[in-house]
Amino acid sequence: MAYFLLRRTVGFVLTLLAVSVVVFAVMNVLPGDPPLTILGLDATDDALAALREQLGLNEPLLTRYISWVWNALHVDFGISHSFRVPVSTLIGERLPLTVSLAVAGMAVTLILALSLGIGAASKHRQVGDWGVMFLSQLGIAVPAFWLSMLLVLLFAVKLRWLPPGGFAGWSDPVAAMRSLVLPTVALALVQSAVLARVTRSSALEVMRQDFVRTARASGLSRRRVLWRHVLPNALVPIVTIVGMQFAALVTGTIVIENVFYLPGLGRLIFQSISNRDLPTVQALVMLFAAIVVTANFIVDLLYVVIDPRLKVRA
Amino acid sequence: MFQLTGFTASFGSATALRRADLTIRQGDRLGIVGESGSGKTMLALCLMGMAPDAAQLDGRLEIDGHDMTHATETAWQHMRARRVAMIFQEPMAALNPLRRVGDTVMEPMIVHERLGRDQARQRALSLFEEVGIPDPVARLRQFPHELSGGQRQRVLIALALACNPDLLIADEPTTALDANVALRITDLLVRLATERGMALVFITHDLAAVARATQDIVVMYGGDMVERGTTAEVLADPAHPYTKGLLGARPDPTAQARDHNGKRRRLPTIPGTVPPLFSLPQGCRFAGRCPVEIPRCATNRPAPQDLGANRIAACHLLRGQRP
Amino acid sequence: MRRLPANFIIGAILVTLVVGAAALSLVWTPHEATQMNIRDKFAPPSAEHWLGTDQLGRDVVSQLMAAARNSMSVALIAVLLGGSIGVALGLLASAIGGWVEDGVMRLADLGFAFPALLFAIMLAAVFGPSLTNAVLAIAFINIPVFARVTRGSANQVWTLDYVSAARAAGMNRFAISRDHILPNIAAAIIVQATIEFAVAILAEAALSYLGLGAQPPAASWGRMLSEAQTLMYLAPQLAIYPGLCIVIAVLGFGLLGDGLRDITDPRLTRER
Repeated sequence: MAYFLLRRTVGFVLTLLAVSVVVFAVMNVLPGDPPLTILGLDATDDALAALREQLGLNEPLLTRYISWVWNALHVDFGISHSFRVPVSTLIGERLPLTVSLAVAGMAVTLILALSLGIGAASKHRQVGDWGVMFLSQLGIAVPAFWLSMLLVLLFAVKLRWLPPGGFAGWSDPVAAMRSLVLPTVALALVQSAVLARVTRSSALEVMRQDFVRTARASGLSRRRVLWRHVLPNALVPIVTIVGMQFAALVTGTIVIENVFYLPGLGRLIFQSISNRDLPTVQALVMLFAAIVVTANFIVDLLYVVIDPRLKVRA
Repeated sequence: MFQLTGFTASFGSATALRRADLTIRQGDRLGIVGESGSGKTMLALCLMGMAPDAAQLDGRLEIDGHDMTHATETAWQHMRARRVAMIFQEPMAALNPLRRVGDTVMEPMIVHERLGRDQARQRALSLFEEVGIPDPVARLRQFPHELSGGQRQRVLIALALACNPDLLIADEPTTALDANVALRITDLLVRLATERGMALVFITHDLAAVARATQDIVVMYGGDMVERGTTAEVLADPAHPYTKGLLGARPDPTAQARDHNGKRRRLPTIPGTVPPLFSLPQGCRFAGRCPVEIPRCATNRPAPQDLGANRIAACHLLRGQRP
Repeated sequence: MRRLPANFIIGAILVTLVVGAAALSLVWTPHEATQMNIRDKFAPPSAEHWLGTDQLGRDVVSQLMAAARNSMSVALIAVLLGGSIGVALGLLASAIGGWVEDGVMRLADLGFAFPALLFAIMLAAVFGPSLTNAVLAIAFINIPVFARVTRGSANQVWTLDYVSAARAAGMNRFAISRDHILPNIAAAIIVQATIEFAVAILAEAALSYLGLGAQPPAASWGRMLSEAQTLMYLAPQLAIYPGLCIVIAVLGFGLLGDGLRDITDPRLTRER
C-alpha cells in the first residue's frame, strides 16, 4: 500500500514536471518573438531590447526554465505587464469565482448524471431509459457555449428571471448566486450527458451480477439496492470518466466564463491573450493543466478507496 | 404456510412452470430435483416473488392464506428475509464485493427490524457462530474476497437467517463447492432447519444430497412436477419414467468403474437433452425422450395420479393404468 | 444481409446532409457568403433569403453552407494529421514494445493533460490567433487518442497465429506492422476517426466562438454565434441556426461512428 502510494506520487510529480516542460517549451522555444508579439510590428528596436531584458529572454533557456519553476513553486509567476501587478495577485483575485463555478458545475453534474444514469438503468428498455439515452446523445452534440446562449435567450431575454451575464462581486451573495445559476446549469448539462451514459451502462453491468439478486432476496427495496449495492460497484468506470472529464470541466469553465462575462481565470486568460501578456497566459495554462493532472492523480487514489480488492494488488 | 395451486409461470408461449401444486408446512424439508431447465429455480424465484418482470403468472400462490400471486414489490419486500429467504448457487458472486460481510449480514436486520448497529452486530455474531464460521469477530470485518467458498456460503446462510425466516430456499447451495465442503453445508442446513423448526426447500440435482437432507421430494421436468412423495419411497421405487431415468443416471458408488472384462462401464444416461422452453411438447413434457412413450403422451398432458401414501406421479402409464 | 443499426442510418443521413451542403458550397451558394448589403440587414426569411440576413445583410443560408465547408475542412485536416501521427506512434509502440512502448504511452498520458483549448490558447498567445493554430491544436489532441487505440488493437493482433507465422518466416516488425497489423486494425481506427471527427467539429466551433479559430471574414458556425450573441435582444434567430448546424453535424458523425462500431464489432452491441 505504502509502495503504491509512493509510486503514484512520484508518477504524479514527474507528470507535473513534464507538463511544465511542455508549457514552457511551447511558450518559449517555438519560433515566435514574444517582444515583437507584445509590442507589435511598429515597435522600435530599443523598446524591443528593453522588453527582452525585462522578460529575462537574454538568459539561457535552461536557466529561465529553472527559475520559472522555482518561482512558481513559491507562488511567484512574475509580473503581468498588461495589468502591472504580480500574476499571482491576478490569479488570487479571480480564483474563487472559477473554483465556485467548477465545483458547483461538477456537483450538479454528479447529481444529474448519477440519478439519470441509475434511473435509466433501473428502467432498462422502457420509455424513461430511451428518453435519457436520447437526451444524453443530444447533450453530447450540443456545444456548451450554444446551450448557454439558448439559456440566456430563454431565462434572461424572454422570461427575465436571471441576469444574462456579468458578475457584480461577492458583496451581495444573492445577486452573486443568481449570476452563477445559468453558467452552472450550462456547464453541468453538457458534462452530465457523457457521465449519465457511462453510469447507465456501468449500472446495467452490475445489475446482472448475483449479489444484486442476493440483496433483493434480503427484502431490500429496489431503491436501496440501486443506491447502496449497485452504485458503489458501478463507481470504478464512473470515477474514471469523472477524472477524464476534469479536462472537459476546465475547458468548459473557460468557455462558460467567456460566454457569461464572468471575471474568473478563464476570462483572464483571454484578456491576457488580447493583451499579449505572455507570463500570465503561461502561468494560467500551467495552472489549468496542473488541475487536470491532479484530478487524475486523485482518481487513481480513489480506486483503492472504492474497491478493497485493489489494496491487495496495489 | 406456503401453498401453490395450479401455479403457472410463462414467457409468451414458453411455459417455465406449468400448473404446479405444492404445499409447504412449518418444519417441512422438501427436496426439488431435476435437470437444469426443469423449472426448479423458477419455482424458487416465484416463492420469493422474484420472477423476472417479463414472466406471466397464473394460478394461485398463497402465504398464510394471503394471495401473493400478483402482490406488489413492496408487499414482497415485507415477506423476504422475514418469512422466506434464499441462498444461491454461486457463493463466489453472491456477496457484494465492496462490503464487509458483517455489514451485508446486518443490513436486513437494520432495514426490517430497525435494530441498532450494536444489536445487529450481536445477532450477526451469534449467527456466524451458529453457522460454524470460526473466529466470527474477525470475519465480520472481512471482505468476501478474503474468505473461502465454503466460508462465503456460510456467510450467505447467516444472511438468509438474519431475520429468522419461516422458510429457507437453498438453490443448489453446494454445486460450486468441493464435495467435502458440500457435505458439511448440507448437514448444516438440515441442522439449522431442525433446530429452528424452519421449513427448508432444497433444490439440487444431487440425489445423494437430497436423500441426506430431505423428507419429501418433488421431481421436476420441463416445468412440470412429474412425481412427488417421501424421499425414501421415491428414490427406492420411482414411479415416473423420468425419475427412473434420473436415478439410473446417477453414478452408483457401489458399482465398479470397470466391468469384468476391464472395459470402462458406461453410466446409464437419459438419451437427449432437455429441449428449450419454447419447443417443449404440448402433452407430457418428457415425450420424445421417454423410453416407454405411447402416442397420446405427446398431445395429452397426463394428470397427476394419487398413488396413495402421499405419492403422486403424472404419467399415462402408471401401475394399473396400462391400456 | 443483416439490418443496419438505426444509429448508423440516422448518422449517415445527417452526415450526408452536412457534407452535401459543404460540397455544394464549393460550386454554388444562394448568394455570395461574404457579400454585405447593409440596407437588407436583419431581413426576415423570404424567397430571396431563405433564413433571412444578418446584421450586415449577408445571406444566412449561404454563410451556413460556407461555414459547413470550413468546418469539414478543419476537422478533416486535424483528424488526418493527428490521426496519422497517432497511428504511427501506436504501431511503433506495439511493434517494438519494452521501454519504447512505455515511453510512447507516458507521452500519450501527458497529452491528455492538455485539452485542445489550452493548446490553442498557448499557440494563440505566441503566434496570435488563427485558423491554422486551431487546426494544429485539434490535431495535437488527436495524437494521444489514436496512439492509444492503435496500440491497444495492435497488441491484440500481434498475438494471433498468423502474425507469429510471419515472424517465424523472418519478416521484420515494421513490415508486419504495415502488411498484417494495420489492415486488421483499420476498422477500429476508422470508427475512432469518425467519432473524433465529431469532436473536432465541436472543438473548431468552440475555438472560433472564442476568437481562437476562424478569423473574419471567413464563415464559421462558431464565429457566427459569437457575433449573434451581442445581438441577442435584436435578432435572437441568428443565435439559433448555426447552433443547430453544429448539433446536426456533431450528432451525425457521432451516431455514424457508433453505428460503424456496432457493425464492425458486434460483441459490444449485444448486451446493450
